Parts: sequence; C-alpha cells; structure tokens
Amino acid sequence: MKIFKVGLSALITVSLIWTLNRSWNVGQSIPPLGKFLDPFHGFWQNAEKAPTASQSITISGLQGEVIIVYDSALIPHIFAQNEDDLFLAQGFVTAQHRLWQMEFQTHAGAGRISEIIGSAALSYDRQQRRLGLMFGAQQAYDGIKNNPTSARMLENFSKGVNAYISQLTYEDFPLEYKLLDYAPEEWTEMKSAILLKNMAQTLNMGEKDLEMTNTLHLFGKEMVALLYPDFENVGDPIVDQKEGWRFQPVTTDSVPLALPAGLASIPPNPKMPVDVGSNNWAVNGNKTLSGSPILCNDPHLNLSLPSIWYIVRLHAPGINVMGASLPGSPAVISGFNDSIAWGVTNAQRDLVDWFQIKFKDSSKKEYLSDDAWKPSRQVIEHIKVKGGEDFYDTVTYTHHGPVVYDEGFQPERELKHYAFRWIAHDPSNELQTFYELNKANNHRDYMNALDHYSSPAQNFVFASVSGDVAMRIQGRFPVRRPGEGKFVLDGTQTNQEWQAFIPNEHNITYKNPSRNFVSSANQFPVDETYPYYINGNSWEAYRNRRINKILSESEDITPADMKELQADNYNLKAEESLPLFLKSIDTTLLSADERKAFTMLSRWNYVNDADSEGASYYEAWWDALYPMIWDEMNNDSIALEYPTTYTTIHLIKTKPELVFFDVMATPEKETAREVLQKSFSKGVEAVEKWKKEKGINPAWGDYKNSFIGHLLRGLPAFSYHVRHGGNHDIVNAHSRTHGPSWRMVVSLEKTGVKAWGIYPGGQSGNPGSPYYNNLIDTWVKDNYLTFNFASLEKIQKYSLTITTLIPTP
Amino acid sequence: MKFLFQFLITIAICFILQTFLPWWSMAIGCVIIGYVFNNGSLQSFVIGFLGIGLLWMGLALWIDFQTQSILTEKMNRLLPINSVVLTGLVGALVGGFASMTGALAASKSTRR
Repeated sequence: MKIFKVGLSALITVSLIWTLNRSWNVGQSIPPLGKFLDPFHGFWQNAEKAPTASQSITISGLQGEVIIVYDSALIPHIFAQNEDDLFLAQGFVTAQHRLWQMEFQTHAGAGRISEIIGSAALSYDRQQRRLGLMFGAQQAYDGIKNNPTSARMLENFSKGVNAYISQLTYEDFPLEYKLLDYAPEEWTEMKSAILLKNMAQTLNMGEKDLEMTNTLHLFGKEMVALLYPDFENVGDPIVDQKEGWRFQPVTTDSVPLALPAGLASIPPNPKMPVDVGSNNWAVNGNKTLSGSPILCNDPHLNLSLPSIWYIVRLHAPGINVMGASLPGSPAVISGFNDSIAWGVTNAQRDLVDWFQIKFKDSSKKEYLSDDAWKPSRQVIEHIKVKGGEDFYDTVTYTHHGPVVYDEGFQPERELKHYAFRWIAHDPSNELQTFYELNKANNHRDYMNALDHYSSPAQNFVFASVSGDVAMRIQGRFPVRRPGEGKFVLDGTQTNQEWQAFIPNEHNITYKNPSRNFVSSANQFPVDETYPYYINGNSWEAYRNRRINKILSESEDITPADMKELQADNYNLKAEESLPLFLKSIDTTLLSADERKAFTMLSRWNYVNDADSEGASYYEAWWDALYPMIWDEMNNDSIALEYPTTYTTIHLIKTKPELVFFDVMATPEKETAREVLQKSFSKGVEAVEKWKKEKGINPAWGDYKNSFIGHLLRGLPAFSYHVRHGGNHDIVNAHSRTHGPSWRMVVSLEKTGVKAWGIYPGGQSGNPGSPYYNNLIDTWVKDNYLTFNFASLEKIQKYSLTITTLIPTP
Repeated sequence: MKFLFQFLITIAICFILQTFLPWWSMAIGCVIIGYVFNNGSLQSFVIGFLGIGLLWMGLALWIDFQTQSILTEKMNRLLPINSVVLTGLVGALVGGFASMTGALAASKSTRR
C-alpha cells in the first residue's frame, strides 16, 4: 500500500514536470509552462531595467579593444581600432538587441518558419522555397565573397553575431525563443545574404504580368491601354533633363513580341501593398538658410516590432558613419558620415517576368528552348515541420528560373507551366555598395559605390558637405522592347528573353539640377527623351507632386521645415477628387446622417490630421468606391488587378459612362455618378456604424487605428495601436499598417554635419525592455532624436552606459 | 516547529539549486527535504506547495518591482490568468507533489 502511494505520488510529480517542460499545441501553442514561468530562468529574466553599470566583455576574434558608447536612446556608438573589429562589434551589438528578429526574418526568407511554428506555415515555406529565394541568396553570397573587402566585412559581422550567441544560456535567450520553445542556432554569412533578398522580395517583386495577360484576354488590348497605361502623365519625373541623354543606347534585335494567347490562371505571387513606398529629397545650399544642403529620407514599409531598422554609429580609422542599419546585415543602409549623406526610395521598375515553359513530358526533366530540349534542374527542398513529419518538395528550375507553380503546388487549371524570371536571382554584391557609401567623401565615391548595386533597384539620393546634391536610379535593369514585360512571355524562344542589361553609365542620374533640389517618391523616373523603354508595376502620383510643390516654393529652408514636410498630411488626392465627387451627389436623396457628412466634407480642408473627421468620411467613401467600381476585377478563378487610384479618378472625370462603372450585382446600369452616390451612402454607413460601436467621434487617427504589430503575427501583448494622421498617397504615408519606417533629416554643414532621425519602435527587440517601444511616441508626435555625432571623448560624457569588448588573450 | 523548519529549508535549498540548475531541480530538492524531515505526507505537500509557490511568486514579484512591471503587464495580456499567480501556482504544484513524494518514501522506510 505504501509503495503504491509513493509510486503514485512520484508518478504525479514526474508527469507534472514532463508536462510542464514541453510545449503543447491544443488549437493554440502553449509554451513549456514550468520552464517558461520559472522566475530563475524563464520569461521573468527578460524583464529589464535601463542599463546603468558599464561592463567589459571578452570575446574571441577581436584584434584590439572596442568601446561601445550607448547614448540615451540606446544607440550604440562603436569605436574600433580597425574595420575588422568594427564590423565584428556591429554583429555583436546587433545580436545583443535583435537576435530573435535577425534569425526569424532569415528563417522567413529561407522558408523555415514551419520549423518554429509547425504545419500552419508549410504553405508559406513552400512558396518561399519555390520562389527561389535561397537560390538568389546563394548568388548574392557568391557575389559578396568574390570581393575581398565585402567578404571580410561579412565574415567579421558573422563572427560578432556568433560571439554573442555562444555566450548565451537559456535564461538569456530572447523572450520569443522561450515562448516558442526553441534555441538560437549558429549565425551564418549566408543569413545576411538571405536578409538582402528579403528586401528584394519586399521591394522588387512587384509585377502584374498574369493580371495583364488575363485583362488582355477578357477585355482586349484597348482596355489594357486605357486602364493600365505605362505612363499616367502626371507630375514631374524624378529626373527631367530633356535631350540630356548623350549616349548610344544598347539595343536588342527587334523581333516583334507575340501577345500571349489565353488566360494565365496560376495564382499571382504575394502582392506588394500599394502603401509600400518612400520619399527622399535633397535641397542644395541656394535654398537653405544655412547655405548647406539638407537631405531627407523616409522609407515606407510595414511597421512592425521589433522594428525593421536599428540605428548604429560606426567609427574606426577611415570610417565614421551613422544611420539606419538592417539587423542582420553589416554597414549602414540609409545614413550620413562626415562628408556625405544618402537615402533610398524604391524604383518600382518591372524586374519580374513569367516565361511559359513547354516540358517534353510530365517528368519535367526537359523543356523546349528554340529547337532543342534542354535539361531542367530539379531541386528537392527539405522542410522541417515542428510537431509533424518532414516535407519534401521538388522544384524544377529552368534557365529562366524556378517553376513556382506546378501540379504539386497550387496548379494552374490548364496545367500550363511558367518559369519565374526575377532580377534578384542574378549575381550581385550590394554589401560592397553600402561599404563604399559608408566611407564615401564626395559625389565620385557615391557614383563608384553604386556601380556595384543590382537589386532591389532604388532611387539613391545624395548630398555632400561640399555642396552637391544628386539622384541616381540604380539597379540591374534589362533592356526591354516597348511593351515587353507587361504580359507573360513565351519561354520556348530565346529571342523573347532578357538579352542585355542597361549599362550602369546609361542609368538615370541627376546632379545639381537648376531647380536646386532633387527628389523621388516612387513616381515615373524620367522624361520621355530617355532612350530606354521603362515599365513598372505602378507609379506614385500624389506624394511626389506635393513634395516638389513645397520644395519649389520654399526658400531659406531649415531642418525644421524639412521635418514638417516629412509629417505633411495634405491630401492632394482629396483636393483633386472631392469637389467633383460632391458635385455628383444628389442631395435630395440623402438621409440625415449623410447630409451631415456631406456638409462636413464640403467644409473639409483636405488635411488628414489625426483629429480630422472630414478625413475619415473621405477615406471611408474612397474605400467603398474603389472596390465598387472595379468589381469586375474580383474573380475567384483568375487574377486581375484594380487600376491605380490616379487612373480611377481620371476615368471618373473623363469617361463617366465607361462600362466598368456599372455595378455587376445590381440590375440597373450605373455610371460614375450613381456609383459615387451609392459608395457615399456605404462610406457614411461604415463611419456611423463605427461611431455607434466606439461611442466617440470619428477622428481620423482613431478611425484609421494604425497598428504596429509584433513579427509573430501581431501578437497583441507585444503590439501597439497608435493615433496618427496621414495615409497612403500622402507625404506622411502612414496607412493602417504601413508608414514611414525611418525618418532622417541631415544638414550637411561645413562646421559639422547635423542629423535627426526616428523610427516607430525602439533599439531593443526585447518586449521586456524599456527600449522596446520608447521611440513610438516621439515618432507619432512627428518629433525626432537629435543624433550625437561627436568624438569618443565628448560622447562619453552623455552616455547611458559603456561596453568595452576585449579580445581573448 | 518541524513544519516551519522544513518550510524555510525548502525555500533556501531550492533557491540555491535553481540559481544554478534548471527549473525542475527544485523538485529533486523537495523530494530529498521531504524525505529527511519525514513529516506527514499531507503536511509535506502543504509545505512544498507553499514553499515553492512563495519562492517563485516572491522572485517574480521582486523582478516585477525592480523592472516596474514592464514585462508583467504584457505577459498578463498573453497568459490566461495573472502571470505572478500562475507562476506561483505552477511552482507550488510541482513543489507540493515532490515534497509529498519524499515524505511518503520516508514514512514507508521508517515503518519497516
């Protein structure tokens, strides 16, 4: 009896420990509670105070001592004696603050999320693998390693990350590892390459070839031209120097392109949201109060926590640079040094094509190219799945690229096969560009640095202390025949392929234009005399004009004026559309609520401030109108795309009788006027419903309800809602989920460069740190951190804490 | 008296054990202490339950106080019940059963 009691009690104890020492998946994932809650090692150990005591850490691989001064925002100022130590230390401190994010993002790029969260991510992982992201990363890695400078930088960065990882025990693991019950693995140099391809996926995978092919088939060539023009003819291009292109363009043989026959019914790749974009500009000394150039940049990306950016200062003999880095990559990506500043916006060019493949048989081992059967390459992807069996996926590669969709993965109804041609699969070495930009002294260095840069194609703005301002649209761009790249292409004929690339010296550049400024906001890049055909997924139509108008009209500009412009909430789209919209409304048909909204909109000042109620009614109206007009484009079986906002408004103005204004679900025939009336009622209804639910007035900041979500599917406990103005198509491009992810203003004064910057997050990726979200409020108020760019001696006085890295003896 | 003594020793020994070893090391501590003190099995359960419960809750509260609840508030939104209470409860359950196991084992050997 006693033995039985002891046995039972022991069994209960052991079972309890076993149960509490492992994670469970019962509909939702439960962490190993004993391990997780243990206050000695579990999540409690991730709760942090602001650091005060300075510390010394011994790490291997260093040549000399490195001093890291953290300023009050926890920005590390790294002072090293040579570049090797500098990048090693950058790896170390970045990992210290962002290790989980670094690994998670590279897992996401490589299609390894199932390893962490289980089969729910399998489809996502397969898609990543089938898009050939790792294939591109391998090419990028080879490119980096082929150049001794970038190879060394990458190697040292990686060593630094691993120096940090190697000293961790369970209690030091970032919180998310404990929550999901896994451990950090060794960092590899390849992971930095994956991260760069992640950026290419975010920024340079925009295309609508399948959608255009289907539109062509369903609605005809004229409708494609009307609804999706190559060029919307609005505003100034980024570079306008008519007849200034004094070179002989590269041409390809002019075989006329065959238009594709039939539908392309494979699913389109995940879309780049329209609210991904960016602003950058630089004004020269003629326009500023100080007489020195001012450069500004704000990339608009999905706002997440931990933030996509990490601010860092890097200092060693020959280098003194500060700005935003990407956690997981060495060097500064958008920033400034003693002599120059630079920033980026997305170039929007079409760098994706789908080539229809003719396989010899169902084994897909050979495919037709000109008159011969070429062997394909089949790669077996091994995907580990947490709590499940490993998954093996075969991906067929042609010389164009991988066949993303086939019988095994989201097959096309007619079983046609398309190979995915993507610029990010080509060899490149972007790290060398950033390394050289970090050290650049003048315009010539900037130009040389950009010569290494392929993808994702960007508009690089530049300004120097010596007074130059410049813009260069840099990337690896195929030489295209007019119309090429709009539709799916015939993969059986090599004369349909990308045959040449625009040489770097023919890329679009602009230096010290007579208007005294350069600017870009994802609009069409160049005037019509540029001798190469250009197409893109979409071109921005509003922000660029607002920015150029303000910059043209401004004199004696100060950095404060530039901050004001970055936060500008003027809704040019509303100014150009609302008067016409209101005129179309038959006020005799309005309900009491609608009449009130109508009056409010008639008096609205077109400013999307957080307090504006007019903005809420306008945006709700637009959100109802846009899908109502383009209901023809909602098709369950094939992909179609809505025309752009600008084209939509243009058509309302110029072709109100167009067939697309008819709402398919109603028996009567609508024109633009009826659709405006109906969508107005729908928009007002949406706002009134919101008012009833929330019990407050629909101020835009509340109605928009912007969200900065944690990378783990916006885990509510680690995410924030913010009340902020702006929207897409507005200079302050803060929509519900996307917005200015990094704002920077640099005044390049001869007496010393001054700079300000901010991002909506915090330097620490740890939700248990006071520095996890401390910059959000500053950002929401459109305020900035003033960067301290002083020498080591001076900056030490203002430090929060100092870490000294000491080489192992 | 023996009750109070076992209670204090449980807290002290398990504090030391857990500082260096994984979380389940406290269960080993509890079994041994329960065996050595040889209190009644139910009494030993209560001692282990309260001892580890208080140890875990106490340290959690100390961290919470030190860090101005920075993480506690977030975890309270993530976990089904208050994170300090849940921490104490999980520790207490394991501690209680482990202590009882020790006491039961001891009572068996003394009777023989």
